[in-house]
Amino acid sequence: MLTQIKLEFLKLIRSKSFYLSFAVLLGFVVLMLWGFYSYVERKAGGQAVEQFKYTYESKSYFNGLTFALYSVMFSFSLLIPLFVTMTAGSSVAGEARSGTLRMICVRPVSRVSIFFAKFLIVALHTYLLMAFFIGLNLLVGLVFIGWGNLELYPGPLNLVDEPGKIMVDDALWRFVYASFSGTWALLVIAAFAMFFSVLFESPVMAVVVTLAIYVMLYIIGRVEFFEHLRPYFFTTDMDFWRDVFKPVIPWRSFYHYGGVCGVYTFGTLLVAALVFERKDITS
Amino acid sequence: MWIKLILAALLGLSLATALRFEPTRGRTPLGAQRRGASDRPRLKLMTWNVGYAALEDDTRAHTEDLLAVAETISQRDPDAVALQELTGPEQLKFLLAHLGGRYRGHVGRLNGGDRVEAVLVKDRGARFASVPTTRADAASAIFRAGTGEQAREVVFVSAHADAFSAVRRRRYTEEVVEWAAARSGRGSVVLIAGDFNFELSSANETNLYTDNLKHDSEAYNSLLKYFRDLGRDAGDTAINERRIDYIFGSPETGLLVRAEVLRGAAVGRMDHWPLVVEIEL
Repeated sequence: MLTQIKLEFLKLIRSKSFYLSFAVLLGFVVLMLWGFYSYVERKAGGQAVEQFKYTYESKSYFNGLTFALYSVMFSFSLLIPLFVTMTAGSSVAGEARSGTLRMICVRPVSRVSIFFAKFLIVALHTYLLMAFFIGLNLLVGLVFIGWGNLELYPGPLNLVDEPGKIMVDDALWRFVYASFSGTWALLVIAAFAMFFSVLFESPVMAVVVTLAIYVMLYIIGRVEFFEHLRPYFFTTDMDFWRDVFKPVIPWRSFYHYGGVCGVYTFGTLLVAALVFERKDITS
Repeated sequence: MWIKLILAALLGLSLATALRFEPTRGRTPLGAQRRGASDRPRLKLMTWNVGYAALEDDTRAHTEDLLAVAETISQRDPDAVALQELTGPEQLKFLLAHLGGRYRGHVGRLNGGDRVEAVLVKDRGARFASVPTTRADAASAIFRAGTGEQAREVVFVSAHADAFSAVRRRRYTEEVVEWAAARSGRGSVVLIAGDFNFELSSANETNLYTDNLKHDSEAYNSLLKYFRDLGRDAGDTAINERRIDYIFGSPETGLLVRAEVLRGAAVGRMDHWPLVVEIEL
């Protein structure tokens, strides 16, 4: 099993898409920084004082932690899932497309262990993406903006019902928690992508189908007319990851939705493993 | 085989965790729920947008529904009621008549609009005033609650912010808050009740930051700067799981005893339910 994991890890770090994902996230942070700077400048210049006189009346609102929070929140729903889906979707179907899947499967190791090793590497990539992105945002926030307490207001990020504050030390820990809770949530998409990767011979097909389902549910869940459907979408349950940024973490709710995400992840993986085990590989 | 077992075990563990822990979000109650008898005066307040949903031909209150509104008010027996979307003073008179003369009321000026806000209070000595805004004026009542040394002057406002424009909602809210905050500083208990139509929800939603959200957020925070959101834990007040009806109280409000949304009270095509808040002064 360890050999399988080692081989999959080598494949991951040798693939261009691995480095592309980090490069794009870097570009996103640069854009965010540019936007944040111009935003703060307008605020500091007095032009936005009327616009934000209640929410952002605190001079210390705009700090590195706020920057990191906004950046992570905005990218989590659409940008990071893209790379997770790419890695997971091409894990099996990519081998089938390149003609190496058959060769891998004739080795004296079980197909399930091959599949599981691939999933562990996808999970590792997901965590690295989250950790890198959060770390980079905090670093950029510290260097270019400076740290302060994390101030939260009702509305902008829909995190709190009343104004709240997380002290800087605690807030940094919350970002660490977010790297794990975010990874756990993203594993749902990874599992779906791996399932479709097993089902289809084409990695493009696996990625597109996964993203189509994800984006479709994400959009439908945001339309007010279909609000009653929202509780049934996995995209809603995935949202639990950001509860770690609430001044008081609602642990019971956190565990519940974390559990639901686990059901989606491991249920899908189990089905995918069984399908892969019985799959007729003709490529 | 063992990998499949691990996956099955993790699936079972996740399922057990999801079932074991309730998804109810742990909120800090706004005030301790006092159950024992207390000699401090209590005040029961109600706010209700009695208009119809946006898809109806006439979204204002329908006179035939006011009998049911009067019945709900009579059953719950609030000390003051804020109503929104009445067609005008005639409907208020109709309602007061069906309340058996136990309440006095006032409607704000129309200001060219087609619907008004109203306040109803039990206190016979209540004074009424309109709260000037760029839209139809909010209605307010000033009355006394309690007796003797514990008697307090209460300023009660009925407000209704625009349903379709976050910018107009914000402007209206700031006007009402400015008016009310000025009275709060004079030792009176100030309460603002009404339908503010804020699109704010912290439950399971991610939002890319929008201009509408910014204005609603600013408007809500302008209220929170001076007032407490007393009905926060009572839940949704309108269809489509929206909490858009509020009762805000100044810091002098005292202890929150109870906040409740009367689901099932709506009649006809009403899309709001009454919010009832009981406080101890």
